[in-house]
Amino acid sequence: MAEKHKIIVYALSTCPYCKRTKRFLDAHKVVYEHVDVDLLDDSKQDEVLDKVEKLTGRKSFPVVIVGTEIIVGHDEQKLKKALNI
Amino acid sequence: MSSSQVERIYCPVCLAKFKFSEGWSEGSVVVCPICGERLTISKSADGWVGDRIDKGTEKEIRDRIDGFAEIRGYVFNDVKEDIVEGLMGKYKRFGDFYCPCRMEHVPEYQCPCKPTRGGDVEKNGKCHCGLFWKKA
Repeated sequence: MAEKHKIIVYALSTCPYCKRTKRFLDAHKVVYEHVDVDLLDDSKQDEVLDKVEKLTGRKSFPVVIVGTEIIVGHDEQKLKKALNI
Repeated sequence: MSSSQVERIYCPVCLAKFKFSEGWSEGSVVVCPICGERLTISKSADGWVGDRIDKGTEKEIRDRIDGFAEIRGYVFNDVKEDIVEGLMGKYKRFGDFYCPCRMEHVPEYQCPCKPTRGGDVEKNGKCHCGLFWKKA
């Protein structure tokens, strides 16, 4: 199980696919940190958006980071593979 | 009435003007043919304007997206309910029904967003957030 790595989810609080990703992780009892980017204050939001854009080349959510692996969008197959579940 | 004198109604959702149809009058309830919003029309000093019916309610956004899908011949799938919940969240937090999958809270991303009104579903098979789908 890849939970030795820190798992971070960048999401929008209103995005249905972000919710599905969180639900999927919860259902598999995966421990993760999450950041609802749209709820951050302006300066923090800019900082996180820059980071997401640098990591993925776009500002699209959800973004799941598992160690060195980056998964953009809700993709259960990729999540299972990255998390070895 | 000549074509140069055709009256138009301003829609406060898509910020466009659509043609006034025969039989409409002050207080008529009409559907904006561009975004699907239900409007009560009235004449102001600047011309005909539409007022949003049930503004800010779940009924308003459901009527709008259902109306838009009907006008364009689009369909929904099982993500619709999650997206409606996201749209309600946008209204509560950011003041209007902006696309739940975008960061920008500007009029052009009021659902159905401008790219969707401009033909994104025909091009990509679906809109940005996957609410509206082209019929298979």
